[in-house]
Amino acid sequence: MPPAPALDIRGLTVRYGDAVAVDDLSLTIPRGQTVALLGPNGAGKSTTVNAVLGLLNPTAGEVEVLGRKPQDAVRAGSVGAMLQHGGLPTEARVGEVIDLVRRSFDRAGQTTAWPLEDLVATAGIDGLLGRPVDALSGGQRQRVLLALALVGAPPLLLLDEPTSAMDVEGRRAFWTTMRGLAARGHTVVFATHHLDEADAVADRVVVVAGGRVVADGTTAEVKAGVGGRTISFTAGPERRLDDVPAVTAVTRQGSTVTLATADADTTLRALLADGGLPDLEVRGATLEDAVISLIAARRQTSIGAPR
Amino acid sequence: MNPLFAFQLRRVARNKQFVFFTVLLPALFTIFLTKIIGGQMSVAAERQEVSASIMVSMMAYGAIGAALGATIRISFDRASGWLRQLRVTPVPQTQVFAVDVAVGVLLTLPSILVVALVGRLINGVELGVATWVTLIAVLWAGSAAFVALGILVGLSLDEKAAGGAIGILGVVLAALGGLWWPVEMLPGAMRGLAYALPSYWYAELGRGVVFDGFPGPAGVLAIAAYTAAFGALAVLVARRRPLYAVAG
Repeated sequence: MPPAPALDIRGLTVRYGDAVAVDDLSLTIPRGQTVALLGPNGAGKSTTVNAVLGLLNPTAGEVEVLGRKPQDAVRAGSVGAMLQHGGLPTEARVGEVIDLVRRSFDRAGQTTAWPLEDLVATAGIDGLLGRPVDALSGGQRQRVLLALALVGAPPLLLLDEPTSAMDVEGRRAFWTTMRGLAARGHTVVFATHHLDEADAVADRVVVVAGGRVVADGTTAEVKAGVGGRTISFTAGPERRLDDVPAVTAVTRQGSTVTLATADADTTLRALLADGGLPDLEVRGATLEDAVISLIAARRQTSIGAPR
Repeated sequence: MNPLFAFQLRRVARNKQFVFFTVLLPALFTIFLTKIIGGQMSVAAERQEVSASIMVSMMAYGAIGAALGATIRISFDRASGWLRQLRVTPVPQTQVFAVDVAVGVLLTLPSILVVALVGRLINGVELGVATWVTLIAVLWAGSAAFVALGILVGLSLDEKAAGGAIGILGVVLAALGGLWWPVEMLPGAMRGLAYALPSYWYAELGRGVVFDGFPGPAGVLAIAAYTAAFGALAVLVARRRPLYAVAG
């Protein structure tokens, strides 16, 4: 029997009253992958992460983490997490907090916990162990929270917008760390809306919108999946762009119009027939273009489709 | 020792306000009140009675403050996201709850002991060894009612309200429950209120031990009922409102 995947989500649905946060989402992540969950705020990323961690009870569907129920996997020390709304206790020193969590992993039988110096170097918390938690800066807190996620050396790491409080340099160091962990065989799943991070770090990108997976593949596949071209040019607001063929998304920024297209040839022909195209630029879609067009497409279908 | 228990204990003990309000302040009150009120008594037996009574009230006052102060903090840990963070470590969730109860129970003991020492050594309260032991044991056991109350309030209120509640509850329970002055000094209606407060019955347990050798059945019943009621409500609230804030 092959080992259970790191993460197996089947038909996950989470409703808060009338609002559907996650809508019949299915996703399997084999061990050792580095996966980015991409999507706008409110797409259902955090809710999915929380369901995987057993922090909420799904309305429907099943989640298995390394072949166990979420709470059992967490209890067994198989999961480390950086939460979006996690925090550190007051009136404690950083070293004490880390020690407490490390011991809990020891007790759970997860015996591969990192040597402290190694952890300190990896999480970038040099010189912070003796510091009171209340005296930490935002970036330092974030690194301590990372240390807590890593301290048990869990096979699965779940990171919910881990770099939101970090500066550019901190971010770069963070992702270097993550690549190192992935190379050691850890499964890393992170939610982000920084597309550049996903592009640079992930083996696989899962785009979530409206509580569903709207695209899933390598970054190259996701880009290709939306036709792979963007056309931009200068046009006034009077220019009608509703009926241009093959266009998947339209954005206007001042007088600059950007179209994502599934077929650049057809779109360009139609545009030229309709008038001039000053400052024309055609390029391969970036991951950002791809995600924007995927999300726009998802919005259209959900408006059209009865629920 | 359980690592979480040691950790929580260190955090509370490190809080200077907590140590001041639950140990130092009751000890100082015990000395001053006894000097002021007891000093007016010329008969030694009367002085002895007043000193013992004030000592019992202050043991109760300190223990209530410690029980509330140590447990209402659960609200701060929820607000900071720490409870949520703990939830994604292998620390069992039931242990988090149990440890907070245990810390509350343990931390009422220093208040009770220090005031007892002050009563004996500075104010000259004289009791038999068995009475001392019974007094301390009964007050320690009875403090469970306030540990349960603190957990209930900590679970029910948000951070800011909980911070205020520690002070307000402490003052109300002490002033209206007859810990700062005898209930007999309160006007009729307020005296009725005092008899409805757990703090009155808690001190009454101690007075029973000191003056009769054992706690009165009414006090035992009242404190047991309060403990059960607060505990049951706390469990109810905990079920409805998880230990961690649900967000995102």
